[in-house]
Amino acid sequence: MRSYFFVLLSILCFSLSQSYAQTTAPILGTIKGIVRDTVHNYVLKAATVSIYKADNTVINYSLSNNYGEFKFVNLPIEQPLRLDISNVGYKTVSKTITIPKGQTLLDLKTIVISPQDVNLKEVTITIPPITYNNDTLEINAVAFKLDTNATVEDLLKKVPNITVWGDGIITVNGKEVKSLLVNGKQFFGGDNKITLQNIPKNALEKIQIFNTANRDNPLDSNLVANLKLKKGKDRSYFGKISSGYGTDNHYQFDGNLNFSTPKLQLSIIGASNDVNKIPDDINTLMRNSTYKGMGTSVEYQSDFSQAGVNQGNVAGAQMAYNFKPDSKDWDNRSSLTADYYFKSLESTNTGDVQTITTIANNNQLFSFNNNSSFNTSDRHRFNSIYNYYKKKHRIDLSQSFNLENGNNSSNNIRSAQNNEQQLTSTNNGISQGNFNNKNFRLNARYNYQNYNNWKQRFKSLNASYNVFLTDNNNDRTEITAFKDLLNNANNRNFNRRYQTNNKNVTQNMSLAVPNLASIFFGNKHLNGFNAEINGGLTLANNKDRNFIEDFTAGQYQKNTYLSNNLQTNQADFTPGFTLSKSFNKRLSNRYYKSLGISVTAAQQFIDQNNQSDRSFQNIKKSYSNFVPSIGFNGFNQQEGNYQEDFAVTYRTTVRVPNINQLAPLTDSTNLYNLQRGNINLKEELARSIDFNFSHYDMKNKNTLNFSFRSSAGIIDNDIVDSTFIDQQNRRNVYLTNASGSKYANFSGNVRKSLKLKSSELQLSWYGSINFSKTPTYTNSLFNFSNNIYANNKISSQFIHKDKLAVEAAQGIGTSFSEQTAFGSTYRNIILTTSVSSNYNFTKNIALGSNIDFNNNNPSVGQTINFTIWNANATYRFTKGNNSEVKFTALDLLRQNQSIFNFAGVNSFTTSTRNVLQQYFMVTLSYYPRKFGSNTVKK
Amino acid sequence: MRRLKHGACLMAFFCLSNIPTFAQEGKIDSSNVVTLRIDPQTARGAAVSQIFDEVKFVPLETTKESLFGQISQFKVVNNSYLIYDYDTKALLIFATDGKFLTKIDGSKLKSDKNDKEKAQFYGFTTEKENNENYIIIFTPNNVQYFSFSGKFVKKKSNKDYKYSNEGKFEDGTTVKQNFYLKKGVDSTFYQLALVRKKTLDTVAYFKNDKKKFSNDDSYSHPMFYKANGDFGFYIGSHSYDIFKVTSQKVSLAFKLIFPALNSLPSDFITNPIYIKKRMEYFDKNKKVFIGIGAPYLLGDNLYLKMSTIYWDKDQKRNVIYNLKTSETISFQDLEPDSLSSFLPITDSGFGYDFENRGFLAFEDGKFYTSYSALAMFTFKERSAGKTIAYPPLLTNYFKTNDRKSNPVLIILKPKQN
Repeated sequence: MRSYFFVLLSILCFSLSQSYAQTTAPILGTIKGIVRDTVHNYVLKAATVSIYKADNTVINYSLSNNYGEFKFVNLPIEQPLRLDISNVGYKTVSKTITIPKGQTLLDLKTIVISPQDVNLKEVTITIPPITYNNDTLEINAVAFKLDTNATVEDLLKKVPNITVWGDGIITVNGKEVKSLLVNGKQFFGGDNKITLQNIPKNALEKIQIFNTANRDNPLDSNLVANLKLKKGKDRSYFGKISSGYGTDNHYQFDGNLNFSTPKLQLSIIGASNDVNKIPDDINTLMRNSTYKGMGTSVEYQSDFSQAGVNQGNVAGAQMAYNFKPDSKDWDNRSSLTADYYFKSLESTNTGDVQTITTIANNNQLFSFNNNSSFNTSDRHRFNSIYNYYKKKHRIDLSQSFNLENGNNSSNNIRSAQNNEQQLTSTNNGISQGNFNNKNFRLNARYNYQNYNNWKQRFKSLNASYNVFLTDNNNDRTEITAFKDLLNNANNRNFNRRYQTNNKNVTQNMSLAVPNLASIFFGNKHLNGFNAEINGGLTLANNKDRNFIEDFTAGQYQKNTYLSNNLQTNQADFTPGFTLSKSFNKRLSNRYYKSLGISVTAAQQFIDQNNQSDRSFQNIKKSYSNFVPSIGFNGFNQQEGNYQEDFAVTYRTTVRVPNINQLAPLTDSTNLYNLQRGNINLKEELARSIDFNFSHYDMKNKNTLNFSFRSSAGIIDNDIVDSTFIDQQNRRNVYLTNASGSKYANFSGNVRKSLKLKSSELQLSWYGSINFSKTPTYTNSLFNFSNNIYANNKISSQFIHKDKLAVEAAQGIGTSFSEQTAFGSTYRNIILTTSVSSNYNFTKNIALGSNIDFNNNNPSVGQTINFTIWNANATYRFTKGNNSEVKFTALDLLRQNQSIFNFAGVNSFTTSTRNVLQQYFMVTLSYYPRKFGSNTVKK
Repeated sequence: MRRLKHGACLMAFFCLSNIPTFAQEGKIDSSNVVTLRIDPQTARGAAVSQIFDEVKFVPLETTKESLFGQISQFKVVNNSYLIYDYDTKALLIFATDGKFLTKIDGSKLKSDKNDKEKAQFYGFTTEKENNENYIIIFTPNNVQYFSFSGKFVKKKSNKDYKYSNEGKFEDGTTVKQNFYLKKGVDSTFYQLALVRKKTLDTVAYFKNDKKKFSNDDSYSHPMFYKANGDFGFYIGSHSYDIFKVTSQKVSLAFKLIFPALNSLPSDFITNPIYIKKRMEYFDKNKKVFIGIGAPYLLGDNLYLKMSTIYWDKDQKRNVIYNLKTSETISFQDLEPDSLSSFLPITDSGFGYDFENRGFLAFEDGKFYTSYSALAMFTFKERSAGKTIAYPPLLTNYFKTNDRKSNPVLIILKPKQN
C-alpha cells in the first residue's frame, strides 16, 4: 500500500524536475534601476514598477524599496519589453527596453518621475497592475488581460506572488489572507470559493490587501483582502442550472440562483439526484453548485462512503440583510441572516454485521445481524441570526426550527453462536413505523461593555437566555420472534404497537457581572486582581405519554405495564464567584507575554422530580456538589516572529442519572438487549483537565503554523453497564456506578507553506489519539477495558502556476481494545493512500483524476483492499464560458465497498453495507452570471 | 492612563509649590509675528549628509542587567545618558559610548514602614545641589535622591521638595506652568508664569478656566519647551501659534497656517459645540493636525512636528522649515547615504515612534533619537550591499547583538547655516 504512495510521489517529483529543467534552459536577464522625483529631491518608496511583454501581458511587478530601487530577475533576453513606473500623483513613465544579447544585467540607473499637475485632467496611459496606497496593496483588475469570462480566482492566479490553494485559502507571498470581503462585507456566507469563483473579473475594480495586525508590531501579519467592485456592479445575480444522466439510470439535477444588492443577499437552491450528493446543510450545497473556475482543486464528487442507495431532493433559500450597509465600524452593525433548507431522502440499505463479544476468559459470543431497511424522511429546517451592535451594547439572537417526518421499515435476521460456534438462538424482527418530530431553539445574548469611559465604574455585564422546545411523536409496530435453540421453553414472540409522544421544554438563563474590581475600587490597579460574580439556572420539563398495545387473542390490547405517563421537572442552579489575577510583561519591540489565572468556586444544586403512573417511578432526588474550576491562559507574542497562546483548564462536571437509568420500564421485545435500571445510582463526577496550544507564525514567508489540544479526566461513580449475557445472547443491561474510569485525548495539526520558484507546496499533518480506560461488568465479572483510537494523516499539496495541482495524502486509522480481565484484544488498522490531480490543458479543457487506495486490516477476519478511482473531463464553451459539458467516470474499477470495523469496549464489530458503485455520467450545465445593471445600448 | 494620572499628580504637586511675592497678568506682544504657510505634503527630500554634519549610532549595551524596552524619558547629563524605561520601571545610565554603567531599579526601591503605597516611579529629573548633580525620582511616598553611580543618597517628603527645574533662564528667571495667581481669597489660573529672581515679581500669561480639564476633553496639552539659547517656546492646547518666551516677555513669534485638510476650525477651542465632542471631530477629520510638538529653531531652520490622532503613513508630519527661503524638508524623505552608513536616521517606514514623539532631546547642538534592534537589523537587511564597511561600533554591534538587543541611540549634528 505504502509503496503505491511512494511510487506516485516519485513519478510526480520526476515529472516536475523535468518541467523545471525545460523552463530554466534559456538564458535570462536582470533589470534594475532607481525611481527619483527630482522636483522634490527624493527617491520614491513603493512606486509601482511593472514589466510587460510586447503583447501587453504582465510579466512581473514590484514596488520600489526604501531606497527607490527596483530589480527584476528571470526576464527574457533580446525581446522588447515595456517598463512602466507609476505612483499616485505622478505621471506614469513608460519605457521600451530590451536586454541585449550577451548581457545578463541591464542597469537603467536613475529614472526621473515627475509630479502630476493637479489642474490637468489625468490622462492615464495604462493603469499599473498594482499600486501601494497608504499601507494598502491594490491589485487593479483592468491591468490584467484575461478572457471576458474570467473570475476573480482566474485573476488571482495571474497575479505573481499570490496563490489560491485548493481549500480556498489565499496566500500573498506565503502570508495567509485571514478574511476575504466584498465591498467590505462577507459574500454569501463568507465562503472563499463562492466568492472567488463567481465574481467575474470584469465586475471588479480592484483587490485591496491590507494588514490589520496591531500597528505597534510593524512586522506582524494579519491580512484582509477586500474585493472592491466597480460602481453599479454591487447588484448582481449568478447561478447554475445543470442536469446529468448516466449508466444504471443514474441522474442528477441542480439549480441555483443568487441575487445581491448592497443591502440584501438572497440565494435559492435545489438539487435532486441518486448519486450521494445530498449534503446536510445549505452551505455545502451552495459551495458546490455555483460556478467554478477551471480549478486545480478536486471536484465535488459522489460520497462513496455513504451507505445505502439514496435518492434525494433538496431545496433551500438563504438570505442576508444588512440594515447598515454603509457602516464600517465594528461597533455599529445590524444584520439579519436566515436560511431555509428542505431535504427529502429515500434510502434502501442492506448490511451484514458480525460482533464478537468477550464474556469471560476464553469465552466469546458471536452475533450476526443481516438487516435491510427502507427509510423515507422529509426535513424542514429554518434558521435565523440577528445581530445588533451599537457602541456599548451587543445583542445576538438566533433561532432554529426543525420539522421532520418520515417512515421506516426494517427487517432484521439475527442469530447468536456460543464459544463453540454452535448456533444458540435466533431473534428475527420486522419493524415498521413513522415519526413526526418538531423542535425549536432560541438563543438570546446581551453584552454590555464600557471600557472607553474610565470614569464609569460599571464596566460590563453578560446575560443570556436560551430555550429549547421539542415535540416528538412516534408510531411503530415491532414484530419479533426469539427462538432458543437450546431450550424451546424460552421462545418468545412479540407483536407490539407503540404510540409515543415526548414533549420537552428546557430554559437556561445566565447572568455574569465581570470586573467587580472596578465597581468597588474604581480605576485602582489592585495588582491585576479582579473578580466576577455569575449564576446559571436551567429549568427543564419533560413529558412522556406512551400508549403501547400487544397483539393478543386476535386483537391489539393495551399493555398496562409499558403504557405510561411520565413527567420530569429538573432545576439546576449554579451560583459562582471567580477570582482572577493577570500578569503581564512587555519589552517593547521584543515581546509581550501575559498570564491569567482564574479560580471559580461554584456550587451546583440539582432537583429532580419524577411523576409517573407507575409508583416506582415517582422519585424525587436532590443533588448538591461543589464544582470548582481553575483556568490558566497565556499569551506570548514575539514581535515579527510568532504568536503563541495556551490555556489549561481544570473543571468538575456533574451528570445526574435520569429516570430511564434509575427505574426504566423494560421493553422485552428485543431479548438481545433488555435495558434495566438501578434505583441506587449516584451522580457521576468528572474531573478533567483540558489543554490547548496554538502557534501562529507572523513571518512574511514560508509560514509554519501548528496547534495542539489535549484533555484528560477521571470519572468518579461513572455510570457503566453491567451486562448479563447468556449462551443465547440474551442480554440484560443493568447500570451501576464504578470508579477508575479514565480518559486522555490528544489532537494536533501542523501546516507548512513553501513558496518555490514558480510553484507552491503545502505540507500538513493532522493527528488525533484517544485513550480510555472503561470499567464494565460482564456476568458479574469486573473488567477494565483499555481502548485506543488513533487517526493520522499527512498530506502535501503542490500547485504549479495555474496549470497543475496535485494532492497526495496518506492516512492511518487504528482502533484497539484490550480486556484486562479476559486477556482478549481486538484491533483494526485502516490505511488510506490518496492522490488527486487536475491539469488544465487549455482555458476550456481540463482533466481531473483522483484515486484512493484503501486497506482494512482487522485482527479478526480478512484483510480487505479496495481502490476507488474517479476521473473527469470538462469542456467549457459559449461566450463567457458559461456552458459546460462534463464527462465523469466514477469508481472506474468497480471496487467500492463499505467496510466498518471497530474495536469496542469488549467487542469487535465487522460490517459491510450496500453502497453506490461504478457509474458514468454526462452532465450539461449553464451558469448565468451578471454583475451590474443593464447598460443602455447605443 | 496610569502614567497620565501620575503626571497629573506631579503637576498638581508642582502647582501647589508656587508662592509668589508680587504677581500680575502680563500682556503678549504680537507686533513681530511671522505668518508661515506650510504644506508638509509638498516638502522636499534631501540626502542625510545635506542636513547633518555627523550621524552617530550608539548601540546601548545589552546585558542581563541593562536589558530594557524603550526610551520613555531621555536626558544627557554628566557625560552620561539617563534613560527611563516604562517596561522595566527602571532608570538606566549609560556612558556616551553606550556602555552600561548602572541602573535604579523601580522594583528595588527602599520603602519605609509608614509608606502608604509601594514605592514606584515613572520618570525622573536631575538637579544640582551644592555643586553636586543628583538624579531625582518621585514616588507616591517621597522624593528620592540618587547619585550618578546609582546610589541612594537621601529622601525628602513630597511637601518639602520644591520643583524648580522647569525652564530657568540665565538671569535666574523661572518659567512655571499651571500657575495660580491669588488676589485675596480668589485665585486665577494661568498656563504660564515668569518668576523673576532679580525683581522678585511674577508675570502670568494665558489665563484659563481651571475647571477646563474636568469639563472638557483635550488631546493636546499646553506646553512650554525650553529651547537652545536663552529663550523658550510656548504652544497652547489645539493651537498652531508658537509663542517665544524670554525672561522679559512673551511674544507671538510664529503663526502657522496649514492646508485646509490639515487644519482645525479657527473656533475649535472657543466654540462650545466641540466640548466633549473633540474625539468625534477627529474621527471624521482624520488628517487634521491636533497640535504642534516641541519646536526647535537652529539658525534659520525651524524644526516642527505636527500631531494627528490617527497614524497615516503618507501624511508628512516632521519637517524643517527654512525661515529665509521658505523651503520645507520632510524627515520622512531624508535619504540615507554614506554619512549614516545607508541606514535611516529615524524609525519612519518601520515604526512610528519618531513620527509621533519627535526627538528625544536636543543637547549641545545635537539631536537624539532612537530605534529598536528589531528596526536596526531590518534596516540592515533592507540596505544589504550598500555599505561596504560600517563604523567599528556598528560592525561589532551587528556581530555580537541580535534583534532582541537594546535600542540604538542615533545622534545627529545638524549643519550650521
